[in-house]
Formats: sequence, structure tokens, C-alpha cells
Amino acid sequence: MIINLKLLALYRKYLPAETQGSACQIEIGQGSVVRHVLESYSIPVDESSVILINGHAATPEDILAEGDVLCAFPSMAGG
Amino acid sequence: MFGWHGKLLRVDLTSGASQVEEIDPQIAKDYLGGRGWAIRYLYDEIDPRVDALAPENKLIFATGPLTGTPAPTGNRYMVVTKSPLTGALSNSNSGGVFPTVMKRTGFDMFIFEGKAEKPVYLWINEDQIELRPAEHLWGKDVPETTAILLAETDPKAKVACIGPAGERLVKVAAIMNDEHRAAGRSGVGAVMGSKNLKAVVVNGNRQPILAYPEQMKALSLSIQREVGGDIMTQGSSLREYGTAYVPQVTNEMGILPTRNFKSGVFEGVDQIDGPTLSEKYLIRAKPCYKCPIACGRDTRVDEPGYEGKGEGPEYETIGAIGSACGVDNLAAITKANYLCNELGMDTISAGTTIACAMELFADGLIPESDIGTPLNFGDADAMIEMIRKMAYRDGFGDLLAEGSYRLADHYGHPQYSMTAKKLEMPGYDPRGAQGMGLLYATSNIGASHMAGDIAYSEVFGVPSRLDPLTIEEKPRLVMRFEDAFTVIDAAGLCVFLSVRYMFGPDVNLWPERLTQVMNYATGAEYTEDTLLEAGERIFNLERMFLIKAGFTQADDTLPERMLMEPMPEGPAQGKVVELAQMLPEFYQLRGWDETGVPTKEKLVALGLEV
Ligand code: SF4
Repeated sequence: MIINLKLLALYRKYLPAETQGSACQIEIGQGSVVRHVLESYSIPVDESSVILINGHAATPEDILAEGDVLCAFPSMAGG
Repeated sequence: MFGWHGKLLRVDLTSGASQVEEIDPQIAKDYLGGRGWAIRYLYDEIDPRVDALAPENKLIFATGPLTGTPAPTGNRYMVVTKSPLTGALSNSNSGGVFPTVMKRTGFDMFIFEGKAEKPVYLWINEDQIELRPAEHLWGKDVPETTAILLAETDPKAKVACIGPAGERLVKVAAIMNDEHRAAGRSGVGAVMGSKNLKAVVVNGNRQPILAYPEQMKALSLSIQREVGGDIMTQGSSLREYGTAYVPQVTNEMGILPTRNFKSGVFEGVDQIDGPTLSEKYLIRAKPCYKCPIACGRDTRVDEPGYEGKGEGPEYETIGAIGSACGVDNLAAITKANYLCNELGMDTISAGTTIACAMELFADGLIPESDIGTPLNFGDADAMIEMIRKMAYRDGFGDLLAEGSYRLADHYGHPQYSMTAKKLEMPGYDPRGAQGMGLLYATSNIGASHMAGDIAYSEVFGVPSRLDPLTIEEKPRLVMRFEDAFTVIDAAGLCVFLSVRYMFGPDVNLWPERLTQVMNYATGAEYTEDTLLEAGERIFNLERMFLIKAGFTQADDTLPERMLMEPMPEGPAQGKVVELAQMLPEFYQLRGWDETGVPTKEKLVALGLEV
């Protein structure tokens, strides 16, 4: 199934090389969990990352669904 | 005294006399410095009901015990006064280099009172203290004023000044230091203008003496190394993009102010975010004095019509001048930022006031003949024109200069003003960040994120993540954030570094290292508890200032839109701020009565004899 992977701020560098902007579509297996997907893109799955599904707080064990926007960025002080 | 010099300079602008005063060591300890000392003096010396632009109001510049010490980001000062925009308190914070050099004059704090007959500036080089004529500077913008003052004092000196906006008593005028840094919020620049004080120029070499200099050095070095290590291994988004990386983050959560907070989702976000800024306009990252993070942006724009050079924009500016006005043109936003800096205005209130005018115009509530031109959301050039008019009170700008509340009220629709206590809301729509809603409603200066930025947790996951949409625990945590941020402000540190590196790793903001550095500087033997209690003491004294100024529970509120109009789209869709559910608990936890007034017992417990 297809989901949107959106990586913000410094995590942009983990996006596939050909990506324009900060998001791309990726193909994942049915029932994939957040942890799996992020780890496959070398993104730390711990307190140092903020993870969202469709803009809402998500946990590493959440199961992704077709068309979801999975977003991650490094936790840090902001504006 | 250690850490503090223990001295303030009082300048009577009416008579031109100045005097040096010692600070009572008990006051010094109990009120920490900076924001804390300043409210103690302001509370004792002015009637909180005074007209903010009258000579009876006082303007206080205050550094903290860590300003000018090796403590990382010990480079800040606070401007404290009664606000002409809100009628409440102003406490605006700024960094750069000016605050450090101000401390090196040998004074912790300046108190300006009265009003000079003609424009003047203060030149202080340790014992040389002079009020000099400034008529030749009146009307000049910030860069020009700064350059002239450096030429006529000392090239190594540092300048804080107002621009044309402050001179014209624009209610959102800022005090600019080091040209590009702003004590921005709630009209402190207008108070300076009302006193005919164009600038303050400082120089000196008087380092504060520290109680435990070796320990201070060692801990500061280890924090610097830790920050440096993190930047090496994980990188730093703040250094890479400044705070300009944030629009994507808040947009993703559906809380990026869009078209005067009608929505929290902006379709043009990709054009106005940090990577675009870095790619197109960034010259270099620029730090405040000795800051390892360097979130400042030295930028240049060459696009025709928007040419300029300066600093910024940071996130708050992009939110207010950009998405809140529906503007997705980053060159125009950056240009507007330069103009605000040059003319001396707060970008948040300026942008959000224009956004308010745009919505009133869109709904047919301001005739085009009043403005002189159409003022549509998304019209970047009209937005820039409004910034100029506002700073000079030119035409329609005279109304804009009063801030969004008075503007909307003038047209009979105050609910179009996105303010709390008449201060424009910063870049987090509180319908999708409930703790921020409670913060805006209860901060002593009105809708400010800097008063206890729980977005650190709700949005950025620092020190740890809270769900932004829930209200559980928020009253307690907002109170803790307010008290902790009060301590940071009073100490003289920058919140960006402090929240992550000076506190324990959970959301309760336990000030472990902050207590250590405060003790190494002052020798005052604070504990984490007594330090937070001092924050609470300061916060409550500020609250008493508001109560005496006539503020009531009815003022602890938010725009109707935030309370009644569900967010129309995005992840926060359907949400309003559940303020009524949070506020009673907040009052109770604070030890205030059900109308929001601190109880006698609370005041006695904090040692506040008010
Ligand atoms: S983090 Fe940014 S604002 Fe804070 S001291 Fe450093 S450069 Fe200045």
C-alpha cells in the first residue's frame, strides 16, 4: 500500500535522493508499523524524534493505513 | 554581591539628573534579577492605573545575574514597563550583544523616569554617564541611528534605540538593539518614544564577579560541549534553518496561523519555510553573544521590489506577516521583516494587525476608501505598504498603529482581533494546542508564547512530548512553564537553550543545572524549589500589578473565534480551546480565588506584602 512520508527540518536528509520538497510517496506492506518504516529510513525512533500520523501524535507501534501521512522531525526547541 | 553588581542607575529624564543606587541584597536574592527585579521596582514606584505614555510611567532595562557570565546564552535583558498596547505589563526580552555590554557598564539595571523636554540619548561608559541631545537622530531609522551613535561615541559601544514607529508612539513599536534584535512585544518602543529617549548607548569592561568562577567555567564548558556534540551527531535544525523550519511543523499539526487565524492550514507553506529561506536568502547563521546555537539569520534579498539586507525572518515573523496575511512570498515577508526592524516594530503584532484589517476588508467591514487601496489576503505588496504606513501613522496606518484590537473595535467588530489582553497571538493556533490557549489567556503580558512556551512540549517534544489536543495536566504544566520561564527571563538566559539543557529531561521542568549556574554566579544557595518559588513570586507580583491596573477574570480570555468557532480543517478540525474547563483548575493550583485574585495566604507564603 502507499503512504506519504514527510520528513521535516533536518530529517529531510533521510528522504530518497530524488525527492522534491519534504514529502514523498512510499510503498509499504499491509500492517506495517511506524517503527519499521522510520527505521528503514534511518530515523531514530526514540525521544529525539516527534512522530505524527495525519498530524496527530503517534507511537512507534501504531499501524499505518493506506494514504496516511507519516511525519517525523527531530524534537527541539522552536519558535 | 556576586553575579549581580548590585547597582542600578536611575535616570530622571525630566531634570536630566541621574543617580546610582544599591540594590537590597534580600530583594536581589528573592527576585533573582532581570524581569523579577524590574517588576518589584515598577510595582513599588508607579500606580498601575497610570497612562502608559505619561511621564509617570517608568521604563526599566534589566539584566540578570547570568547576563555577561560564561553561562551559555547569558546574553539577555528585559524591558519592563506598563504597556500602552495592553494596559497590562510589558516584559520584552532580547539578546544580541547589547545586554552583555550593558551589564559591563557596572549596572544591572537602568530605570528611566519622567520625560525629556527634547529628544535625548543616554551614553554610558562605566562612570561616564551623559544624557546627550538627540534631535539630529529624531526621524532616523534604526540602522542610521545606530551608525551615527557608534561614530559619535565609541565604535565598540552597543546601541538600543527606537525607530520612527517608537517616536510616533505606535502601540506595537519595539526597542531594537544591535540593529536587528528586538525587545518587541506590547509597545515598549512607544514608551521610550513618549519619554523622548531615542537611544541608550553602552560601553564598559566591568565584568560581574562570580561566587564560584571555576565551577561556573567548568559547567558552562561542559554544556557548550554537550550542545556542540549534539550538533555534530544529530545536527541542529535551529542552526541550519533558524526557527524558520517551524511553519512546516505547525502546518502539519494544523495550527499555523492562516488568514487571521481562520484556519491552521496554509496551502503556501512550502514557499515560506526554512529550507527555502536557507536556499534562497541565507548568508550565514548568526549567534547572539557566545551562543553555540546561532539561530539568527543573516540574509539578503535581491528580488526586484524586495531588495534588502538584514536579519530574519524567524518563525513568528513568517507566521504573522506571511500565513496570517495569506502571503506566500518569502522575499516579500523578508522585506517586511527588514522594514519592521528598520522602523522599529514588533513583527508579530504588526503582521497580525494587518491580517485583521485584511479580514475586515474581505468581509466588507472596512471601506476601500478608508484604506486607500484594496487590502486582500495574499497581497504581498499591499502588506508591505501597510507596514510602512503603520510605522509612520500615515493615513490608514494611523489606525493600524493602534494594534488590531482598537482597529477592529473602531469598525465595531472587536471579535476580529486575534488578541488576548489586546496583545496579538503568536504562531500557534491554540485550538490545536490547548496548553498554549491557557498560556495566552493567563500570561501577564497577554498572548505571548515566551511567557511559558508549552509548545515546546505540545509541538516540539522538548523536554518530552504532550498531546496538544488534550487538556489533562495542562493547568498544572502551564503553571510550571510560566514559573520556569519567569526564572529563565530573570536569570538572563535564552529559553531556546535553557529548556533543553538547563532543566531535567521531563516535562516538569526541574531546573537542575539552572540552579547550579545561578549558585555559581550568585552564591545565593538556591535550591530547585526556592528557584521555582522565586519564579512563582515574580509571576504573582506581576499578577497583582494587573489586578491593581483593573484587570479581572473577564480579561483571562481568548478571541471568540478560539472559544466558539471550531477549527474548520486539518488535524485540529472541530476543536475549540477548552478554556472554561482549564481555567478554574489553574486558578486553584495557583492559589488564587475563583475570580483569579491571589489569596492573602498565597501572597504571605510567597513573602509578598502587597
Ligand atoms: S538560541 Fe538564538 S536567540 Fe537564543 S541566544 Fe542563541 S542565537 Fe540568540
